[in-house]
Amino acid sequence: MTTTETSTSQPGSKETDKKRVPAFLRQFSTILLLVIAIEITIFSNTASHFNTTGNFLEIIRLSVEVGLLALVMTPVILTGGIDLSVGSLLGLCAILFGKLWRDGHLPVWLAAICTLLIGATGGGLNALLVTRLRLPPLIVTLGSFSLFRGLAEAVTRGVDNFTGFPDSFLFLGQGYFLGTIPAQLPVFALVAVGVWLLVHRTVYGRAFRAIGFSPEGARFAGIPVERRLALAYILTGSVCGLASLIYVAHVGQAKADAGTGYELLAITAVVLGGASIFGGVGDVHGTLLGLAVLAILRNGLILSDLPAELAGILTGVLLLAVLVGEAVLKKLFVHRSRRLNTQVAPLNPLNPPA
Amino acid sequence: MKKHLREIAVAGALVLLLLVLAFAAPAFFKPQQLISVLTAAAPVLLAACGVALVIIARQIDISIGSLFAWCSVLAGLAAARGWPMPLVALVAIVAGAFLGAINGGLIAGLGLPSIVVTLATMVTWREAMRWWREGEFVRDLPTTFQWFGMSQTGGQWLLLIIAALVFLVLVFALKHLAGGRFVYAVGSDAEAARLAGISPRIVTFLLFVLMGALTGLGALLGAIRFADVDPKTGEGLELQAIAAAVVGGVAISGGRGKLWGVLAGVMLLACIAPALVFLHIQPQWERAIQGAIILAAVAADRWSGGK
Repeated sequence: MTTTETSTSQPGSKETDKKRVPAFLRQFSTILLLVIAIEITIFSNTASHFNTTGNFLEIIRLSVEVGLLALVMTPVILTGGIDLSVGSLLGLCAILFGKLWRDGHLPVWLAAICTLLIGATGGGLNALLVTRLRLPPLIVTLGSFSLFRGLAEAVTRGVDNFTGFPDSFLFLGQGYFLGTIPAQLPVFALVAVGVWLLVHRTVYGRAFRAIGFSPEGARFAGIPVERRLALAYILTGSVCGLASLIYVAHVGQAKADAGTGYELLAITAVVLGGASIFGGVGDVHGTLLGLAVLAILRNGLILSDLPAELAGILTGVLLLAVLVGEAVLKKLFVHRSRRLNTQVAPLNPLNPPA
Repeated sequence: MKKHLREIAVAGALVLLLLVLAFAAPAFFKPQQLISVLTAAAPVLLAACGVALVIIARQIDISIGSLFAWCSVLAGLAAARGWPMPLVALVAIVAGAFLGAINGGLIAGLGLPSIVVTLATMVTWREAMRWWREGEFVRDLPTTFQWFGMSQTGGQWLLLIIAALVFLVLVFALKHLAGGRFVYAVGSDAEAARLAGISPRIVTFLLFVLMGALTGLGALLGAIRFADVDPKTGEGLELQAIAAAVVGGVAISGGRGKLWGVLAGVMLLACIAPALVFLHIQPQWERAIQGAIILAAVAADRWSGGK
């Protein structure tokens, strides 16, 4: 309809965008719920032991480690950053925990506290480089991804393996309260509620979003950008430490390859949950839904005697399908008002420092 | 001089490492040893050049490793069927270009974030390969496959010559051809490039196709070094290539970087593992040292560059 200058159509289209985005996001979690419903319907028919309370608790039990990483990845991605080092940090924490306990002769509880501190230090290193030197998080965490895993390999010389932890510790990953509730479930629930409150009910969460939309704008709005960013990365590091404890208790041993590839699963869950990799958009319940989609898919396929590789393939395809669907929907909606304004969507996912 | 400071710094670090080796372990400089380091680095160099171009245009590709595995296996299967070597090379390159075109279509066509798209394709292709081959090597390759059917030394030289030629063509194209300058233009400011009559979408799409083709060629050069093809090959190559590009001075925020620097970055990272062996240090330190070099390189970048 508009055949005049694009400048006149731009404010109008921006307004329609504003109205549309929240509505679309509400649809987004509906899409995920729908996917979960479809998964459950299919797997209930293909796998006899799928649709039981025990199995659902088992699904949660098996996805706690990745789940913890995905939860704390959410604030990081909200700020427009990313943390590729979480899987490696989990591995480093796991073997340092084993080292402190076995070779350092520390009691398990003290070693566990030290592990959390080590995780926080690892996150602190990322935070330092991202905030003090204003380096792109992608590169910083790519470097620490290699560094942490490399240190884990160097400490164990690639062969050392820590086992024989006391039963009281293994209970954290293998035990059940009242015979049914997995011991790590309360820990996961606590962290989930904590991160949800942090992101959705505090000024910190608001700051994360603001930084994700525009770091410069956030600074002008009086937000201490560096300190908030540091909080996000250090929180991620500490939770890596926690996840490593649960991992060790779960599998009963600590090796240098613990948590390999977890960073990609965590990021997939967050992005599948509707967070924008550019920052500013996303929520914790979305992440939990994304996580559920992935975990149910894997569990259902295995129980249906289908190859585990199919889960990986479908994860990738699902991620692409959600992105393409979102892009196509947006194009359909915005197409009319922006016929003349054929801008390329923001191409840079890396959020270069201003 | 000042314009090349970053590249010179990396090259300096490489020379320093080589000097240390010259004093501590002269055996490193035996021709056979050097050639084997170089032939192992050549596939990484091609992938790193591809990803450097993609990063200069302000995108990223983390699916390289999976593409590499597919190209290797497809080339191996073609060779096992008795296809002539030129056709096998074509299979690897076309397969890479096709897989790259899928990435490029999704990223440039729909404007999706490249890091998420290539994350998805990385997982999909890797798992699809695992499902299809179930870890089975491609065996019973004809004698024309390994080292192109030549002696080991001859094959190594041919491999190095191919890699060097492709590298030089890329260096020339990036500096002197309009298409090369478009890459910098799109990476510096896509909107300005569009107003100047360049289509950022087309440039981005073609870059991903080129990225795939280079990965395919790299996969071929990587595969011919062995008597059979491992379907797990290329795992972690994406991060190796990105790390080499970043250490070599390619700015992750786009618009800046030189392929000479990438070459220095690839060689620096490639020399660490053999250097550790020759200096009698535990080889398990390799990853940690690589990570430290990446962090040191970007940190030094920030301190010296100011901006």
